[in-house]
Amino acid sequence: MAIHRGKGLATVEYPTGMNQNGDPSQAWIKVKPDGRVDVFSGTADIGNGSKTIQSQIVAETIGVPYDWVTYDNSNTDSSPMCTGTFASRATFVAGNAVLKAARQVRERILAVASRELEIDPADLEVADGAVSVRGTPAKSMGVDEVAGAATFVHGELLTGDGAHLNPGAAIVDPETGEVDRPPHAAISYAACSAAVEVDDETGDVHVLELTHVYDIGRAMNPTLVEGQIEGGAVMGLGFGVLENCYPYYPSAEHRGGDMSTYHVPTMAELPEIRNVLMENPSSGGPYGAKGIGEMANNAQPAAIANAIHDAVGVWVTEFPITPERVLAALDAKREGRGEPRREGRVVAFDEEMSINRFSSTITWGPDVAPPMCALRPAGGPSPASQDPFTGRLNQ
Amino acid sequence: MKVVGARLPRYDGVGHVTGRTTYVDDVRMPGMLHAAALRSPHHHARITGLDVSAAEAMTGVHAVITHADVPLLVYGHLSGAGIPGDEPLLAKDHVRYRGQPVALVAADTVEAARAACAAIEVGYEELPALFDVRLAFEDDAPVVNDTFGNWYNQYEGNLDVRQIRKGDTEAAFDAADLVVSGVYRTQSQEQAPLETQVCVAVPEPDGRLTVHTCTQAMYFSLGVVCSHLQMPMSEIKMVGGTVGGGFGGKVDTASDSLTALAAQKSGRPVKWRWTREEEMLASGNRGPWHMEIIDAVSRDGWILGRKMLTIHDAGAYGRFSVYGLTKHSFHHTGAYSIPNLHFDGYVVFTNRIPTTAMRGYGVTGLSTAIELHAERVARELGMDPYEFRLKNANRVNDTSPNRIAYEDPSTVEVLQSLASATGAELSDELRTMTRDQRTGDMLPEHLTAQVGSGGGH
Amino acid sequence: MDLTVNSVARTVQSPPLASLLTVLREELDITSPKAGCESGSCGACTVLIDGEPRRSCLTAVCAVDGAEVTTVEGLGTPEDLSRVQQAFIHHYAAQCGFCTDGLVVAATAYVSAGGSADTAAISDALAGHYCRCTGYVKIIEAVAAVARGDEFDIAATASSANNTYVTIAGAGS
Repeated sequence: MAIHRGKGLATVEYPTGMNQNGDPSQAWIKVKPDGRVDVFSGTADIGNGSKTIQSQIVAETIGVPYDWVTYDNSNTDSSPMCTGTFASRATFVAGNAVLKAARQVRERILAVASRELEIDPADLEVADGAVSVRGTPAKSMGVDEVAGAATFVHGELLTGDGAHLNPGAAIVDPETGEVDRPPHAAISYAACSAAVEVDDETGDVHVLELTHVYDIGRAMNPTLVEGQIEGGAVMGLGFGVLENCYPYYPSAEHRGGDMSTYHVPTMAELPEIRNVLMENPSSGGPYGAKGIGEMANNAQPAAIANAIHDAVGVWVTEFPITPERVLAALDAKREGRGEPRREGRVVAFDEEMSINRFSSTITWGPDVAPPMCALRPAGGPSPASQDPFTGRLNQ
Repeated sequence: MKVVGARLPRYDGVGHVTGRTTYVDDVRMPGMLHAAALRSPHHHARITGLDVSAAEAMTGVHAVITHADVPLLVYGHLSGAGIPGDEPLLAKDHVRYRGQPVALVAADTVEAARAACAAIEVGYEELPALFDVRLAFEDDAPVVNDTFGNWYNQYEGNLDVRQIRKGDTEAAFDAADLVVSGVYRTQSQEQAPLETQVCVAVPEPDGRLTVHTCTQAMYFSLGVVCSHLQMPMSEIKMVGGTVGGGFGGKVDTASDSLTALAAQKSGRPVKWRWTREEEMLASGNRGPWHMEIIDAVSRDGWILGRKMLTIHDAGAYGRFSVYGLTKHSFHHTGAYSIPNLHFDGYVVFTNRIPTTAMRGYGVTGLSTAIELHAERVARELGMDPYEFRLKNANRVNDTSPNRIAYEDPSTVEVLQSLASATGAELSDELRTMTRDQRTGDMLPEHLTAQVGSGGGH
Repeated sequence: MDLTVNSVARTVQSPPLASLLTVLREELDITSPKAGCESGSCGACTVLIDGEPRRSCLTAVCAVDGAEVTTVEGLGTPEDLSRVQQAFIHHYAAQCGFCTDGLVVAATAYVSAGGSADTAAISDALAGHYCRCTGYVKIIEAVAAVARGDEFDIAATASSANNTYVTIAGAGS
C-alpha cells in the first residue's frame, strides 16, 4: 500500500454569450453638470465584478478618471434591458452596450467642446477628464467645464445609449445541427494540468497542483480575471472529487442539506494554483475581451481523472471521483477487469452502451458495436423489450 | 489605455469589507411579513385535495397562496424562445418532485408562517417515481412531465432529439484503424452560493409592486414575474443587482413571483428567505449527464469521426435544459477538429428537482467526458497526450460541429504554454506548431472539407 | 439582557434562546452577520465574543449576557478601514461579499492573536469559512499580508506571483 503521484491534462473551449433571443443588453449614460458620469446598466453583479469592469470600460472610452464614474444597476425602472449575468456575457455583451453608450457620450462632449473652443471636433481628444487639442495640449478645457457649458450655456444634456444584439437568434437545422449564424459572441480556450496523490489503500485523492492557461482575450482588470480563474478552479475541484447532490444517484435519497453534508471545498482542500493568462483579443469584444467566468471550472475534473490514471492506472469515469470509486477501480484492476476489451481495431472501455439503441441510421460493422435496432420514430415510444443501455432484449 | 487593463479595486469593495453592502435579506420594510413554503414530501404524487382554510384562520397569517391565486400558473423559462411552458408555479394536480412548492404562507413571523404551512391539508396519492434516465424510455415508465412526456420532443420540426450530422461518419468508421468507445457520467452539483434565495416584495400605493430580488438576471426575472402575475413591465419594479453569489442558480429565481403574489394578496411587504436546506434540497442544481463517445481514429493519431449519445437528466421540468443540451451538442468535439460527426442528445425528465444553469452550463460534464476519452485514445495509440491534443487541435477557419468557422482558436498556443509552465517536454515540431489555417501536413485529405470560409467567431 | 455591541451598551428584549444572529440582525439591525446556513456550517455569521470568533447562529443570546460582541461594523468604517479590511480590498479577497464579513472578523481574530503568514496556519484557522467565489487564494494572501505587517494601497489591487501573462504572437488584430 502506497501513495502514488500522477499528472493529468485537459483542454477545453467555451463560448461567450448565447443564442437565445439575440442575447440583448442595453445601457445608457448621463453626465452631471460637473462632468461626473452616471452609468445605468441592468447587469447584476453576482460577485463577478461587472460593476467594476463596466465602469472601467466607460471611464476609458469617454476619457475620464475611473472615480468619476457612478454605476447604477439597482433597478429596472432606471436601467435598460440586460438579459442577465450568465453565459459569460457580462463583460463582452453587456460591456459592449456600455462601450457604445460611452462612445456617444464622448462624441457629444467633443461636439460641445468644439463649440466652446471653436475647433473642429476631429482635432480634439478626451483624456483624464480634459478635452484638448491634438498636438496643442495647452489648449484644453475640462470635461467638467464642457458639462457645465452643455447644461448652462447650450441647454443640452450629455447622454449616450448603447445596445448589443446578435441580430436574430441562431436558427438550428434540425437534421444536421448547422446554424445560420454564430450562436455565441466569441469562443475562449483553456487547458489545465493537475498533479495528484492517490492513496491506493484508502482511495483518497489529494489534488496537489492545478496549473492553468486561459485565453482571456484581454485582461480588462487582471486581478478580477485571476479571481474568476481561481474561484473556478476550486469549483472544478469540487466537481472533480467532492460534490454530489445525489450521492447514490440515481437514487434521490441521502442528499446533503447543508455544508456539513454537501462537500463544498474549503481552504483545507486548496491545491497550489498557478495560472498563465494569455491575451488573444477577440474581434468583437470591448477592448478585445472574452468571457471566461464559466469555463473556469470545466478543465479540472478531467485533468484530475487523467492524473489519477497516471498515478495508479485506473480510469474513474463517474463523477465525483470519490475514494469508493477509486477503490472499486483499483479492485477491478487487481482482479484483471481493469482493461478495455480489445478485439481487432475495437477498444471498448464500456460494454454497456445504449448508443446503438437510440439511433441506427449508420451501420457500423459487426466488430464495432452490437447489432442495431430499428430507428425509433420521433416522439414515439422506444421498443420496451430492450435494455436501454445495452440494446439487449429483456426477458 | 490606462483604465482598462488596470488593477483597480472592486467598485463595491469598501461596502463588502465593512458590512455596508445591502443584500436582499438586509432590506427592512415597516410592517413586513415573512413567508414560508409548503413543499411536496413526495417525489411523485397526485394531489387529491388541498384545504388551506385552517391555515388562513390562524392568528398572524395574512395570506395563503395556492395554484388558484396564480394568474398564469404554467410558464416556461424559455417561452420567449418558442419552447412551451411546462412548470406550474405552485403544484395543482400533481407534484413531480420532492420539495416542489404547493403553497406559500405570509405571516407576521417565519414561525407563524411555518406553523400555518403545517396546518394546510393536502391529500396525496403517491405515484411511482422515475429516477433512472435509462428507464425513462420504457413503455411502462411513470410519466413525469405533462407537457413533453418523459423526454423533450419539440426541437425544430418536432424532433425529440437534438442531433448533429456532419460529414460521412460511416466512411470515417470504415477507414478507422482504431475504434474507441467509452461511457462517462457526471453528477448533479449544487451552486451553493453563500446567499440563499431571498425576495422582498412591496405593494406600492399606486398599485405597482417593487420586488427586491437576488436574481442574476433582473430583466429576465422581470419577464418571469410579469408573466406569472400577468402584469405589464411598467407595473413591476425589480430592485437588485447586488447578489451574494449565483453561479447559475439564481437565473430562474423561483422566489420572486410567489413573494410578489403574497405581497399583492396581503397588501403588505413580504420577505421570503429560503433556508440553506431549501436552497440545497429544493432549488435547481446542475443536472447529471450521461455521455457515450465512440471515436474513429487513425493509426497516426487523427480523430476521423465521432459518434456520441448524450442523455441529460433534466429533473421534473424543462427550465433551461433544452438550451443546455443544444449548447452541449454545438461543443461536443471540444477543442478538436473532427470532420465526421453523428451526435444524438436527449433531455430526459425524472422526478427530481428541475435542474438549471450552473457555471459551464451544458459543457462542464461534456469537457470532462471528452478529455477523459481523449486521454484514453492517446494512451491506446501510445501517443503523448500533448502530441495527440496538439495534432487534433482546432485551427483558424476550421468549422465547429454547427459549421461556424473558428476565428481565433488558441488551443495550440494554450497547450504549448501549459507544457512550458509545467515542464512537459515538447518536440521541436510541437513547440513550433501554430494555430494558422491548415496547410501541408496539417491539412490531410480527411480535413479538407473541414476548413471553412471565414465569418465565424 | 445587556451586552456591548461594537462598543455600545445595548439591552435586548428577544427571548433568551434566540440566536445572537437573529438578535443582531432583527432586533438591533446590525446586518453584517449573514444567515448563510443557520446551522454553524458556513461561517458567514461569525462575530467576536470577548475577542473570540464565534458562530452567532449557534449562540443563544442569553449565553452572551454581559459580553462584548464585535461585528465587522465595529472593526472599521469606510473612512477608517482596519488593516484586515484594507488587505481584503487590496488583495481582492471579496467577490460577492456575502462570506466576507464573517471572514474579516475571523481573520482579525487570527492576526490579533499573533497568527503567522504561513498558508497552512491560516488555512487551519479559517477552513470553517466557506467562500464559493474566490477559491480562497486571495483570501489567504490578504491574511498573510496582514500577518506580515504589509501596508496596503486600497486604490489598487495586488498582482500575484501565481499568475503570469503572455500574449499570443500575431494576436491583436
